[in-house]
Amino acid sequence: VSGSRDAEYCEYVAARLPSLRRLAAVLCDDPQRADDLVQAALTKLYVHWGRARAADHPDAYARTVLVHEFMRERRSLWVKRVSLVGWVSESPAAAVDHDAALDLRAAVAVLPARQRATLVLRFYCDLDVDRCAEVLGCSPGTVKSQTARALESVRRALGPAHDAGPGEPSRRAGGGRTSTRSNRP
Amino acid sequence: MIESQLRELFDQLADGAAAHSRVDTQLALHRGRARLRWRRACIAGVPVLAAAAVAAIVLAVVVGPFRPGAGPVSGTGPLAPRQFSPLIPNVSFGWLPSGQSLDQGGVRPTDAFLAAGSAADFDGWRVGVYARGHCHLTGPATGLTCTAQKPGGFSTQFGERAPAVAGRSAFWAGPNLIWQYARGGWADLSIPVASFSALQQDTRVQAEALKIARHLRVGAATPRLVFPAQLTGLGSHWRINNVHYTADGGALRADSYLLTTGTSRFFPDVGDLGIWTNAPYFDIHPTSRTATCSPHDPATKNTSETINGYRVVVKQMTAGGHPEQELCAAHAGRLWVDIIEFGRHPSIGVVSLFRHHLRLLGTNPADWTKDPLTVSKGQLPGGVAG
Repeated sequence: VSGSRDAEYCEYVAARLPSLRRLAAVLCDDPQRADDLVQAALTKLYVHWGRARAADHPDAYARTVLVHEFMRERRSLWVKRVSLVGWVSESPAAAVDHDAALDLRAAVAVLPARQRATLVLRFYCDLDVDRCAEVLGCSPGTVKSQTARALESVRRALGPAHDAGPGEPSRRAGGGRTSTRSNRP
Repeated sequence: MIESQLRELFDQLADGAAAHSRVDTQLALHRGRARLRWRRACIAGVPVLAAAAVAAIVLAVVVGPFRPGAGPVSGTGPLAPRQFSPLIPNVSFGWLPSGQSLDQGGVRPTDAFLAAGSAADFDGWRVGVYARGHCHLTGPATGLTCTAQKPGGFSTQFGERAPAVAGRSAFWAGPNLIWQYARGGWADLSIPVASFSALQQDTRVQAEALKIARHLRVGAATPRLVFPAQLTGLGSHWRINNVHYTADGGALRADSYLLTTGTSRFFPDVGDLGIWTNAPYFDIHPTSRTATCSPHDPATKNTSETINGYRVVVKQMTAGGHPEQELCAAHAGRLWVDIIEFGRHPSIGVVSLFRHHLRLLGTNPADWTKDPLTVSKGQLPGGVAG
């Protein structure tokens, strides 16, 4: 029976791994760390597999495990040591290399983990407020306030020039590596 | 406006996910199993916390069959062991309900556990036992906090006093029975019921729980574990630790353990389990014809080679910023061998361990050993974690 449990788990993971890795990449903004995150989340998913497979929506369960792992890791010391303010990873996504995109990415990068997760759940996973609250384990009101704060932080970081649209000169989000690039003429 | 830009950014980031996955499903599975062993049995008290909070409220109005027991808090009698030897189970079931049998167990210096019933669905009885001095009552006997080697330990609030177990204090805490098995030592029996209210209504299960507790044997007088491999020629500073074992026929076969030394260090924040550095993790058990090591992962630095006549895969990875090396042999003398070690400067590498120090003993229980770690002549006997 243990074998069938494991086989079921492996089958599920094989089918859902691409989407979990994509979600992790959005949460982390770092493909390498994203895989570490998925690795840790899959261990947790195995531990709770009985509950996951019995859930109405196993995918939602797996997503919740991943998001919680993301927020937990962000609290841990080893991540804090390497997570510099304003840091934006060198990843293929940087191929879309214009200032507005980089500024937006930098602005999102400095958000607290919970706010970032909220934005990802709302605007990448397209979850409504109630579902988002279920994933984050908070009230719908908290989701709304976290979303509002996150959007306000991003707007503030981008500055008034932001509304002028992509390609226009804009201010950068923080004091990290991105400053040189976003201040390019 | 900004919302649509965020959607666009997130789509780009998702598309930027590395082409080659470094995610190792088999590794997640192995670690998940290890975590289950400790968390679902030995550390069963963690989920008790929430349940016990509910229990405390519910029991305030409970009448009928679930009435308080009258066990005194005792300060006399035999002392609990100060620590457990990882080479013997230290604890055994003296009685189990019909159809239940010992499935697996684990032991380390601070605590030990046993699990009975079906391991597959984790729905059997589980008991965690803590060595003397690792558990402390909180307040006027309203709860218990136990500390153990990491990852481990729990804190719980008692719901209600249970009938005494061998004259010692016992408490219901959610679907758990917690009692003092000897002076200074506490045990936690996880009861296979769906909820606290189910336990409340089931006097038969309550009686079974109390009977298991009363017949539980704790102490060194248990048969030694047997190991299908032996480490030889290592210094006396190495110790076997965190042993997990499986009831295999009549034998208690150790199938995973940790080899620690004075420089081994635990990093609790790496991954979801924490990791030990400079402490090789061993996972050794009889293999099957179709067994394989984890799937080939192009993003991991893998090398295949033949060592001592066995085909092995050696992987170099990182976990939480710590270099990780793994050696896996799916068919080594009819055994499946996996050795993982974390750390930048390990005292001894996984390849060296396998090549020079690991003696595989096959699948015949008669050939297995009770001494998994032998030291060179003239050195002090090793093998028991201090």
